[in-house]
Amino acid sequence: MKHLLKKIAMLAVAGGIAASAQASPEADREAFQNFYKNRFASVPMEEYPNGVYSIDPVGRENWEAIEEFPPYEPFIDEGQAMWEKPFANGKTYKDCFADGPAIAGIYPLWDKKNGMVITLPLALNKCREANGEKPLKYKKGSINDILSYIAYESRGQKTNVIIPKDDPRALAAYEKGKKFYYTRRGQLNFSCANCHLQNAGMNIRADRLGPALGHTTHFPVYRSKWGTVGTLHRRVTGCNKQVRAKPFKAQGEQYRNLEYFLTYMSNGLELNGPGARK
Amino acid sequence: MQNKMIGYVMILAMLLFGGLSTVQAADGAKATNPEAAKVEKMIADADKARKKAASVEGEWRDVGKMLKKAKAALAKGDYKTAKKLAAKAKSQGEMGYKQAVAQKDLKMPSYLKY
Amino acid sequence: MTISTKLLGIASAGVLLAGQLALAPVASASGPSMVEEGKNIAFTRKKGNCLACHVMAGGKAAGNIAPPLGAMQSRFKSKAELKAQIADATVKNPETSMPPFGRHKILSDAEIDKVVEFVWSL
Ligand code: HEC
Ligand code: HEC
Repeated sequence: MKHLLKKIAMLAVAGGIAASAQASPEADREAFQNFYKNRFASVPMEEYPNGVYSIDPVGRENWEAIEEFPPYEPFIDEGQAMWEKPFANGKTYKDCFADGPAIAGIYPLWDKKNGMVITLPLALNKCREANGEKPLKYKKGSINDILSYIAYESRGQKTNVIIPKDDPRALAAYEKGKKFYYTRRGQLNFSCANCHLQNAGMNIRADRLGPALGHTTHFPVYRSKWGTVGTLHRRVTGCNKQVRAKPFKAQGEQYRNLEYFLTYMSNGLELNGPGARK
Repeated sequence: MQNKMIGYVMILAMLLFGGLSTVQAADGAKATNPEAAKVEKMIADADKARKKAASVEGEWRDVGKMLKKAKAALAKGDYKTAKKLAAKAKSQGEMGYKQAVAQKDLKMPSYLKY
Repeated sequence: MTISTKLLGIASAGVLLAGQLALAPVASASGPSMVEEGKNIAFTRKKGNCLACHVMAGGKAAGNIAPPLGAMQSRFKSKAELKAQIADATVKNPETSMPPFGRHKILSDAEIDKVVEFVWSL
């Protein structure tokens, strides 16, 4: 009897696992957002774009002081100049992005023609290359200027990642990003979720672990540790390295799919880039 | 075969031009010293393990660095260090592979409630 | 350093001679140095870095991801059981965030033995 009960329980667990492993993106997002709603019951949804400062009152005070003289401001100005300066062929970014510069809200998006996730940095470089300009590097350097400007102009837009139903490859890319997020990596054996879900709100040494909800709303980000503005893929590279996993290529398939999944989780949250963090 | 020929020609050229005694010595050691050949094989095996881990997105951070250092130690004739590094790199390559393969099927954590 | 340790040893042996002789051999044979080395390994960031998650007596700037480590002898039946937890915490709890120090060779077997001695003493 006991044995049978155990078996039934095991089957139920297996069923539960299977269900959530193949849940729809909407069900994933709900479970993800509910997780934080339960853990940080007093934190309103609109706070999550502020990252770890939504749950760390001490860090927050410091951050608010920094935001009074935003360290990313010069980068926005540089980016505006970049946006306006014609390429050698006389065209500008505006010729690629008619709705620009406030275009951050539509990225990352699924490109049906090429069967891949297109992020904003990738789209910017495609524009440059189409106009005979050299592509920019994806982690450091001037790509962060133009990203800062676009992010600033896009403030107030809502995260709204779309996974088109008419192309199963889009859902497959999302699923790959999701798998990446929950897979343990590196000698220290951490998944992203170990730190940003399971232990969100806890301290690892003296660092408070922030919620992953809102992780994508404020990039590029000025980090005091870097002394400059950097991209999302640069940040993720750091998180991979600290668990002793080999990071993947910025704008390679792994990180683009990851961004697709992670940004989808924040659907509905307001864009507030560029941001400032420790 | 062709590679070997090129190698011989290069060694000959070096002998002719002279002055490259260190390179000569290292090359000579590689060809004749069985210990060096063994270490070289260990490094090649470790690199295979690294690539296998990478093929399932399971490569660890320091394996590439270890192999670079192992090669440098080998070139200097420091076989002991080179062997130690190659063995560690191989072991980490294998562990990274195992770690990734064990998670082939996504299991959602129980703390996420659906 | 070694001289003063020796002196200390002689001095404490003298003290012990006066009293609880029975306890002396175990404590001074291998115990203290293993515990001390284990503590070093446990606290060093690039080694055990246990403080990242556990509050432990004598450690600073500890995290709070995991329960404080103390009164270990009431929590674990044997050193072997404690060692198993440190070598691969995922055996007991597949979802744990504690790194598998033995399985992934983050620490060597000898290092883990020393850490066990230290943690057992807490
Ligand atoms: C060992 C713990 C750990 C792991 C594993 C980890 N991170 Fe982080 N991550 C941190 C810490 C600490 C910070 C800085 C505090 C914060 O914002 O949470 C951070 C910050 C970030 C940020 C920047 C947040 C911001 O507000 O600017 C992003 C994005 C991020 N992590 C993504 C990831 C992703 C994606 C993964 C998996 C590849 C991952 N992290 C894995 C510890 C971790
Ligand atoms: C990244 C976080 C992390 C690190 C680093 C870490 N642990 Fe843990 N440890 C945990 C968690 C979480 C638990 C709680 C049990 C579980 O998750 O299954 C735990 C549990 C334990 C326990 C069992 C405690 C009990 O009362 O049952 C021991 C013993 C332990 N850890 C020892 C260590 C030692 C020794 C080190 C350093 C070599 C270490 N841990 C490093 C996260 C960590």
